[in-house]
Order: sequence, then structure tokens, then C-alpha cells
Amino acid sequence: MPRYSRLMLAVAAIGMLMATSATAQEYPTKPITLILPWPAGGSTDISMRAIADSASKILGQPIAIDNKAGGGGTVGPATMAAAAKPDGYTIAQIPITVFRLPLMQEVSWDPAKDFSYIVHLTGYTFGVTTSAEGPFKTWQDVIDFAKKNPGKVTYATPGAGTSLHIGMEQIAALAGIKLTQVPFKGGAETNAAVLGQHTMLQADSTGWRPLVDAGKLRLLMVWTGARSPNYPDVPTLKELGYSMVYDSPFGIAGPKGMDPKIVAKLHDAFKKAIEDPAVIATLAKYDMVPNYKNTEDYKKFVVEVTASERKVIESLGLAKKTN
Amino acid sequence: METILNVAHGFGVALLPVNLLYCFIGVFIGTLVGVLPGIGPISAMSLLLPVTLSGTPESGIIMMAGIYYGSMYGGSTTSILVNIPGEAASVVTCIDGHEMAKQGRAGPALGISAFGSFIAGTFALIALMLVAPKLASVAIAFGPAEYFSLMVLGLVVLTFLTQGSMAKALLMACIGVVLGLVGLDSITAMPRLTFGRVELIDGIGLVPVVMGLFGIAEVLLNTEQAIKRDVINTKITHLLPNKADWKASAGPVSRGTILGFFLGILPGGGAVVASFASYALEKRLSKTPERFGKGAIEGVAGPESANNAAAGGAFIPLMTLGIPPNVVMALLLGAFVIHGLQPGPLMITQNPGLFWGIVASMYIGNLMLLVLNLPMIGMWVQLLKLPYNVLFPLIILFTIIGVYCSSNNVFDVYVMIAFGVIGYFMRKLGYEPAPLVLAFVLGPMLENNLRKSLILSQGDLMTFVQRPISAACLALAVVLLVGPLLPALRKKREMVALDEGA
Amino acid sequence: MSNDANVKFRLSNSELWGGLIGLALGGFVIWSGVRLKLGTINDPGSGYVLFYTGILICLFALTIIVSAVTEGGPTLASRWENTRWSKPLLIIACLTLFSFALDTFGFLLSAIPLMVLLLRVIDPVRWSLTIPLSIMSPLGMWWVLKHLLGIQLPSGVFEIG
Repeated sequence: MPRYSRLMLAVAAIGMLMATSATAQEYPTKPITLILPWPAGGSTDISMRAIADSASKILGQPIAIDNKAGGGGTVGPATMAAAAKPDGYTIAQIPITVFRLPLMQEVSWDPAKDFSYIVHLTGYTFGVTTSAEGPFKTWQDVIDFAKKNPGKVTYATPGAGTSLHIGMEQIAALAGIKLTQVPFKGGAETNAAVLGQHTMLQADSTGWRPLVDAGKLRLLMVWTGARSPNYPDVPTLKELGYSMVYDSPFGIAGPKGMDPKIVAKLHDAFKKAIEDPAVIATLAKYDMVPNYKNTEDYKKFVVEVTASERKVIESLGLAKKTN
Repeated sequence: METILNVAHGFGVALLPVNLLYCFIGVFIGTLVGVLPGIGPISAMSLLLPVTLSGTPESGIIMMAGIYYGSMYGGSTTSILVNIPGEAASVVTCIDGHEMAKQGRAGPALGISAFGSFIAGTFALIALMLVAPKLASVAIAFGPAEYFSLMVLGLVVLTFLTQGSMAKALLMACIGVVLGLVGLDSITAMPRLTFGRVELIDGIGLVPVVMGLFGIAEVLLNTEQAIKRDVINTKITHLLPNKADWKASAGPVSRGTILGFFLGILPGGGAVVASFASYALEKRLSKTPERFGKGAIEGVAGPESANNAAAGGAFIPLMTLGIPPNVVMALLLGAFVIHGLQPGPLMITQNPGLFWGIVASMYIGNLMLLVLNLPMIGMWVQLLKLPYNVLFPLIILFTIIGVYCSSNNVFDVYVMIAFGVIGYFMRKLGYEPAPLVLAFVLGPMLENNLRKSLILSQGDLMTFVQRPISAACLALAVVLLVGPLLPALRKKREMVALDEGA
Repeated sequence: MSNDANVKFRLSNSELWGGLIGLALGGFVIWSGVRLKLGTINDPGSGYVLFYTGILICLFALTIIVSAVTEGGPTLASRWENTRWSKPLLIIACLTLFSFALDTFGFLLSAIPLMVLLLRVIDPVRWSLTIPLSIMSPLGMWWVLKHLLGIQLPSGVFEIG
């Protein structure tokens, strides 16, 4: 023990650089925390748990999931960017809101600077549902009702500024109607809200699936490019006349300043994880497919997404007021 | 008839040797993590989730469920013995449970909480078997407005259960709400009251707050009194509840069970509200409310039953709707999905073996827990025979480790020490910590649901009165608040208030 | 100091102090609420609930102050009468020292001295018990957590533990 500690002191004295490269070789030596900015039990939570489980076998250390929900999926990454050490033991799922929210309001993080992007993993299937006991049978019914009662149609989203919120506002603008968003914290909550008819509609990723299958909820549309094989009768956004596709792709990142070697190690492990048939099967339950991008492509993608998001946000008049 | 067939089938699954083994491992780990404050079922289940993947879905889920309700059994142990609540739901057990321990009645307190838990757990399972599908609608009947009113009711109930001045209790509750709101706003992601400290962005942890306000503050109070340590050492007369204890506890256990089961169905703070509400109810119904806070066994029996029945009720929204009412249930949902099953309205019909097997295994698990826990009471009571000058450093060490384990963060140890000091001065000046803790838990939910319901109603405050469930909660809250102002009741309260600082 | 158990409008009235601290806290919360923006009633902002809770805090604190002045309250000194007030103070000091040491020296190197201090300073336990207890209990808990539950306690700059 004393010999070992003297060695560590010497290493520390020579310089942080050496010390970090020494850790990279041994990394990971303790459990890794993966922050999920959604409450447990939603589609992201369960699919990321499956991915993390597979990746942990490759890394040889458990990956503990830490659900830090709120702020449309930004509270988790923001907490990590502010508080975590870039030692590879704290990483977070990065939903698209991390890039979008800074365009809409003052935030504590800068998506271009505060993260070490690791790997891009997959995207969602989004859909709009309503209670099966409710009056809406098709999307047209919603439009007709909303035209007569502007602002009275409420929809539950997993948070303000999420793709669901932005997408619904875009649809509303194109259809010439006014909808009212109610931000919840994730799929488990929006399911309960629409099921209990507290909101008229729910816009969320496929966490609604068991309820739709059981006939408790009615699926009005999906936001994918093509119709979902599970719901061949449900129209896409394009078919309804809105030329958009929303899939909110996501990946994982750590705090800024991570050692490239650790990034590479995590990248490899998570890449293998999304190739694991068991993971693909879990993803398929939520109509999700792997969408792999390596570290470099992911960084480029962040720049592209930020640019395209800026356009949408500005066209909707949701952009942050710059003085 | 069909139900009986199903139950028989379920026991067939649960009694398979491999499932019995998994069930035992689950409840055993659950008891362990329940006794250690800070290390809750969540961390244990997250760590063990991968282990369950190797077996059949039944055995994996039986084990995970075992950890959950097993931890509910163990949770009260440290509350009673050393005044350290491991989680919010056992805060209320501290009030009378620890007082009983000081009077040498730790055995009956631990005993009644084990038996109460068993009775409540069993009842909740029978109810789960019989009425689960019918009660699914209860879980979704609660929208933002209903939750807001329920939280208001919860906060009012709490002021009622304090022993001292109403104004002080309400002040503590408000401070609790404010403390609960520290951190990033869950709707707009704005940092609030973080004073630029990055550790606070995540909010203040519940575990350091309760362990500081209860555990550390209790130690500080005890050490300033030279005589007090002998109080714990008074003769321990008997280990198990006697006839009089049972007579006093029968009502509280049955009322607590029913209250807990129904509040447990609600996603959110069901179990916490249930345990506090049960305490308030028992104090209200009691002919001798002045005994509460001074070691009344009813104050242990009711909340402990409520808290375990709530654990059973919590399975209803998960099994019937696929909506997990708390983080632990969400982990179970994850376990289901990773095993290729999707809890939801179709699960009971599509997978009867699994559903009934799990329910039957929980029944067996409850029995195992009772057998496992009763002999341990003697061991726990022996612990109290340690002289206080040896015991208190161990208590402090225990809380430090528990707090660190709950978050892996040294900052939380500082928070606990700070709240220990604050708690000490609060108690010296006659401010009680229980209202603060409950408000701390309910505050964020109160705020979030208030804002959502105002968005939904477009700023119309009438929404809280127009919706029947919400109106009922608020009406009850008003009755409870105004009640003590009526002259007849006032006398009763003042009698209780005399105990302040005792 | 006065030994009167009950005083009214005096600075030694402990009830008055409790109320004043509450009032200050309430004022701060109101101010924070305003700074975080109240929003409108249709779409309440981040400071909405804080603002109103702050008002409630002030209200309750004022009630306490009023009753402290009209009905009186026990003196600060009487709250600590017949107690060994230095003992809790010593424990607080030990804990403060410990919290500074924890991050730098790690759990084992700071918990063992803490145990020695707590066992010896408050109500001295004999050395033959103090030494084994203060070494064995942190070490035992550390071992259980690290090897059975996979939880790493802080190891400090010397990486011990």
C-alpha cells in the first residue's frame, strides 16, 4: 500500500497528463454512471438500460443508470457539464433538446463547448395519441375542433422544447390552429395524462405502445418517414400534408476535456452494444433502430443539427430574445 | 372461481424451488439494504438488474420485487433504534418509534412494525389479486389539479400531527417547500437558489437532509444531557408486543392498511403521504392524543402498515397500465421489458402465469420476511444496551457512510452535517423537523402540478374547485385547518401543545 | 443574563429570534422568486411558487413574532439551562474538521481520527476500547461496502481505501 501511494504521488507530481494517460490504460476500474435525463420507465430509459447493460459487459464494469429528469431532457446533461469530472465515469445521454434549448432561452451550458461527444446511437418513433374514449377519431377531427376552439386543445409532451413540442407547434402553424402545450417529465407521465383525459392529446415517443395495442389509446399519426410496420393504418406526417420527419436522434457524451483514449474505449463498447441482437430486439419494441455515428461524425452532426434547429426555432418565433 | 384457479396456478409457479430461492435472495438483500439508511432498494436493484437476465423472467422479477418489499420491512429499524430514517416514508416512524425505544420498548416497536407490515402486505396482495384491474382507473383519475390538491392536503395533514405551535409547523413546511425547489426548474431548466454551487444544481438530497435533521440532531441533543443515555438503558421488559399492545394496534393497522393501499396506487408520493396521513388519523381518532410523540404504539403501527400496503398498491398501475408510479417500479418495468415482456392492460391476460406467479411469490416473500425479521429483533435490541458514549460515534459513522452511499458525493456529507446543526437549533427553539421533511418531498410535486394545472386551465384557479377529487381534497384540507380554531377542539390542541420541548 | 423563564419584548426572547430569522428567510425567498421571474397565471414562471411561499413564510414568521411579543417566550439562556452545552459544540467542531479532511485524506484516514476524537472527548471511553473500536468500525464498514456491495468510499490523495 505505501509503495503504491508513493508511486501515485510521483505520478501526480510529474504532471496531470501522465496521470490521466495512466488512468486511460486501466479505465474503467470502477462503475460508470450514465445519466439519463428522463424518468425511469419511458422508452428512452428502457432502451438505454438495454444498451448500457450490453456495453457494461464489454467494458467489464457495471454501468449505473442515474435518472435525472426535467427540463425536456436537459437537466441531466446540464448537471453533468457543470459538476462531473471528465474522467469517463460520468457520461450522459444527449437528447436533441441540449442543442435546441440554448437557442430558445438562457441556459447554463454551451452545446458546442461543454461536452465531449462519444458516439451516436439511435433515434425515436414519435406519435400523437388520444384517449380511445375521447371524441377524436382522426387528426382531421382535432383540426376541426381546434379551429372552433382555439387554444382549447391541450397536448402532453415530455418537456418544453422537446421535438414533440417543436413538432406540434410546427404542425399547428401549418394547419392554422392553436394548441396548448403542457410539459410533463417523460413517457410514464404523459401516458397517465392522456389516459386520464387530463390532456386531450399526447405527443411522445413509443412508450404509448402497450396502451395503443390494448385499445386504450388511439394513435392519430406517426412522425417517421414511412408508416410503422406495427401500425400500417396510421398515417405519417407527410401523408397528412406536413412535409416533415421527426426522429430526434440521440447519442452519449461526457463532460468537456475527456481523454481521447477513454472516449475511444466508450465509443467501441457502445458501438458493439447497438450491434448486439438482444439490444436490437429491445429497441424494436419501441420502433427504434440503431443509427450509428462515430465520434467525429457525431461532432459534425451536432453542428448541422444546431444550424437546422435554429431555422425552425426562428420560423416559429420561439427564438431567444437577443439584446 | 377463475381467480381461485389463477391463484392456484400462481402458487404453482412461485413454489418452484428455483423461484423460492430467488424470492429468498430478494427479500434477504431487501432487508439488508432496508436496514442500511441511504442504500435504498434503487441502488441494489440497479446493480442486480443484469444478474436477473440469466434466469427466467419469473425468477428475475420475483427477486427484484423481493428486494423492493423487503426493503420496506427493514426501513423502520434504524428509525426506531437510533432515530435515523432511511427514507421519507419512515420519518414518521421516528416520532413515536424512537421514543418507545428510549423507554425500553424497542422490541414491541420493532415487533409491531414487522407484524403490521406483514398484515398490510398480505392484505395488499389479496386486494391486488381481486381488484387490480378495476382500480387501474384510480391511478389515472389524478391529473395535475388533483395532485396539487392532494399535496396541499398532505401538507395540511402534517401540520396537524405536530405537537407544538401551528405557526411554527407551517413555517417549517414552507421552508421545506423552498428547500425542495433548489436546483434546476423541472419545466424550464433554470437554476434556482443554487448560489453558483454546481452540486446544488441537482437539488438538495433527501437522505442528507433527513439524516442530518433526525440522526445528527438527535445525537447532539442527547449528548448535552448527561442523564439521557441511561434512559435508553432502562430495563427491556419484553421483546414482542403484548396483549395490550395488540389491542391498541389492531385499529391503526387495519386503517393504515386501507389508507396505504389506496394512496399507494397513485403515482408519486403515495407511500409518503400515506404514512403521514395514517399517523395524523390515529392521533385524531385517539382518546389520548397527548400520548402521541411520547411513545404511542399506535403511532408506529399505523404508519408502518400504511407504508407497506402502499408498496403493494404501487403494483397496480404498473401491472395494469404499464405506468410505473415510482422509480423502483420503473426499474421493475425495465426488468420486464428487458425480459421481452410489456406490462400493460394486456399483460394479465396474455401472461397469466407470470402475473399470478409474481403475486403469489410476494405472498410467500412476506411470510419469509416475517420469519427472517422476528429473530433479528432480539439482536437489534441488544445494540441499544451499548453505553451511549460508545453508541453515538457509531451512529455518526453510520450516517456519514449512509449519506455518502446514497449519492457517492462528499458534498452530501457536508449537507448532512449542516442540517444536523440546523436541526439541533431548531429542536432547541421548539421547531419540529417532520413538517419540513414532508414538505421537502411534496414541495417540488406541488409546484410542478400547480404550474401544469394553471397551463391546462389557462390561468383559471376555479379548476381546483370544479374537479370533484381535487375539490374533495381541498375541502378536507380546509376542515383540518379550521378545525383546531373551533373552541372545543382548541382545548385539546393546547393540551397537546404542553408537551412541546419534552 | 436574566433567569426569567418567560420574557416579552427583550432581545433574549428565543421565540422572537426564531421569528426574525424566519422573516429574513422569507424576504430572501420573495426576492429570489422575483428575480427568477413570476410569469403569468396562464404560464407560471420559475419564481412563481417561490414568491408566494416566501410571502407565506413572512406571514407565519410575523405570527410567531407577534405572539412572542404579546405572550412572551422563554429566554435563549433558559433553553440551554442545565445542559452540557459544550458537548454538542465539540461534536460539531469534530464533524467540521472531519468534513474538511474527508475529501483530501479519504474516508479511512479521516474516519479513524474522528472516531478516536468522538470516543475520547465527549464522555471518555477507556483507551483499550477506543483504539480497537475506532480502527475496526470504519475498516469493517469500508470492507463490506467495497467488497460486498461494490461501493467505493472516497480514497483521498493518498489513494488509501
